[in-house]
Amino acid sequence: MTETVSQQGVRDAPTTGKFEARVRWLVRHFRKEWQIYVLMAPMIIWFLLFLYKPMYGLQIAFKDFSIFRGIEGSPWIGLEHFQTLLGNDQFFRAVGNTFIIAFLSLAFAFPVPIILALMFNEIHHRIFKKMAQTIVYLPHFISVVIIAGIVINMFSPSTGVVNNVMGMLGLEQVYFLVQPEWFRPIFIGSNIWKEAGFESIIYLAAIAGVSPTLYESARVDGATRWQMMWRITLPSIFPTIVIMFIIRVGNLVDVGFEYILLLYQPATYQTGDVINTFIYRQGLQGAQYDMAAAAGLFNAVVALVLVTAANALSRRVSRTSLW
Amino acid sequence: MSAVTLRKVFKRFGPVEVVHGIDLSINAREFVVLVGPSGCGKSTTLRMVAGLEEVSDGTIEIGGRVVNEVAPKDRDVAMVFQNYALYPHLNVAENIAFGLRLRRIKKDIITASVNDVAATLGLSELLHRRPADLSGGQRQRVAMGRAIVRQPQVFLFDEPLSNLDAKLRTQMRAEIKRLHRRLDATSIYVTHDQVEAMTLADRIVVMSDGNIEQIGTPMELFLNPINTFVAGFLGSPPMNQLEATVSYADGGPIAKVGSDIAIPLPELRQLRNAEGHPIIVGIRPEDTAVERNGAANAAGIKCDLDLVEPLGSEALVHVSVADHPVVLKTETRGAISHLSDVQEFFVQPDHIKVFDQKTGLALDHPEVA
Ligand SMILES: Nc1ncnc2c1ncn2[C@@H]1O[C@H](COP(=O)(O)OP(=O)(O)O)[C@@H](O)[C@H]1O
Ligand SMILES: [Mg+2]
Repeated sequence: MTETVSQQGVRDAPTTGKFEARVRWLVRHFRKEWQIYVLMAPMIIWFLLFLYKPMYGLQIAFKDFSIFRGIEGSPWIGLEHFQTLLGNDQFFRAVGNTFIIAFLSLAFAFPVPIILALMFNEIHHRIFKKMAQTIVYLPHFISVVIIAGIVINMFSPSTGVVNNVMGMLGLEQVYFLVQPEWFRPIFIGSNIWKEAGFESIIYLAAIAGVSPTLYESARVDGATRWQMMWRITLPSIFPTIVIMFIIRVGNLVDVGFEYILLLYQPATYQTGDVINTFIYRQGLQGAQYDMAAAAGLFNAVVALVLVTAANALSRRVSRTSLW
Repeated sequence: MSAVTLRKVFKRFGPVEVVHGIDLSINAREFVVLVGPSGCGKSTTLRMVAGLEEVSDGTIEIGGRVVNEVAPKDRDVAMVFQNYALYPHLNVAENIAFGLRLRRIKKDIITASVNDVAATLGLSELLHRRPADLSGGQRQRVAMGRAIVRQPQVFLFDEPLSNLDAKLRTQMRAEIKRLHRRLDATSIYVTHDQVEAMTLADRIVVMSDGNIEQIGTPMELFLNPINTFVAGFLGSPPMNQLEATVSYADGGPIAKVGSDIAIPLPELRQLRNAEGHPIIVGIRPEDTAVERNGAANAAGIKCDLDLVEPLGSEALVHVSVADHPVVLKTETRGAISHLSDVQEFFVQPDHIKVFDQKTGLALDHPEVA
């Protein structure tokens, strides 16, 4: 009810007219709807404190920063850090790796939860369904540190399951985690194992929202289960898929940086070092805060461009968009 | 076009039995309406015919073939749902074509059939719209089109007009009737609305609590309801029912209501030597008059006026007879002032229905007597 009241209130807002009238309307609006703003306050405060206030520090990307001089006291140097970055082969490699890992993830990891949800939807045995779901949700709740430990163990050359099995089959043993060409498949594969189940929950919820009479009508019209999946379930959850895709594109350049940090080593920098790990090494280990801030800003701008583009594209193509 | 036969059909959901062994035989090309209060098992019965619910016991035949174990898609039926069940991601043409495309029918044949059906239903201009951009009545039409285009043996309708407003409902009702005359297909139509049942049906099946109360043409049911339930369900307003006991005066049977009201009853065999028998007197509001109008044998019944509801050309007069509420329906042509001092109404004894109070059955119904 509150919602309709507030919508009503906003619709009543004078679009033209004197400044005074608007102020009076605003005062009346706040007096009537203050509860809603109280409810919103914690979230807004959180955003201001943890996402907007740190932006003040971004200026060091354009300054010759030192902790002793402080942010204020450090002199402006313009785009010098960006010039340095663009001249740095390691940074270029990190940008390239970020995009390669991001797009491979998108191509291989994004469809998996959708397929999982469609498969769960076809399981009608209750107990089996619950068990299967629990098993695939579980890895999500394990700390990424432990996941990394498990993966490192599994692929270890001497004691790892994978190499043992390969040994039994008479294949040569491989030290996967020092081979650059194996870093991306292992990273993306284990990420799918960890998150796909949990991500399928959103699609399962969307599937649950599809009206059962659509399926009944299709059954009378002669649809097989396969046809119902392709022609009803999938199109019905398509808006959800699009929204998830846009969100995913927005987070594209984030590529699970903690997990990479845990999994990579100098031998695999060649394929595994991404912008965020580069920032981490430059900024925290190398204490080049200003340079790291510049790289971070670059990362953020790329993300903003990507998510805006994805949203615009989707609005045009599928009439679905995040905003 | 196929006949549909239900033999001793039961439906149980776990331990709960909701359809108690109904027998129903529907002729080819017939339009049969299942009507009854909400929750009486109409939809369940229809869904068993469609194959969406399994039959717990008994058999269902379509076109002489027992279909209990036949999948819905192989029964050659089409169903129209209350909420239309349109696919939101498909446009009108694609929605109508859905069933045909599943059957991998050639594209040009599909297009021709869709255009044909759309023309019949007045949807030709809307073929490229999505369901979200249609009005309730238009969505309804698309749902009908999706059923018609398949040219099934049997049409099944589950309250297809319930989501429409009153005016549109009347309009679509007439359209469905016209359509049936044209397609001439066996149709089973479920509704809780007795007006829809009366206007659409070749035969009406009145259901209550998982049982069939009576089957017959609308006029048969209206004129000769088998029991008080059917009498109270059909007609608007429904038949007045007064508890009374049988007595005699001037050599004819009368009903005594309360202490001092006597209503003359028709001369029925069952009313001979029935002094003191508890009965229910049924009087249709349409069979009453507030003036004698020269009908010599009409009996006057004393009443107290309660309320007058003018409806335009006619009026409902709410009165009470020995503290029992009774509704009279009278033509007024707009003049209602004379209704404010009604103290008596008139009814012909031959128009009065008599039911047994204990069983609720009509005394003179051929199936009962
Ligand atoms: N799937 C079901 N499980 C349990 N009970 C049901 C189910 N479907 C219907 N019923 C019950 O069966 C009875 C008849 O329902 P229905 O056929 O839908 O009635 P209506 O005449 O209103 O269409 C109701 O009491 C309803 O609660
Ligand atoms: Mg129903």
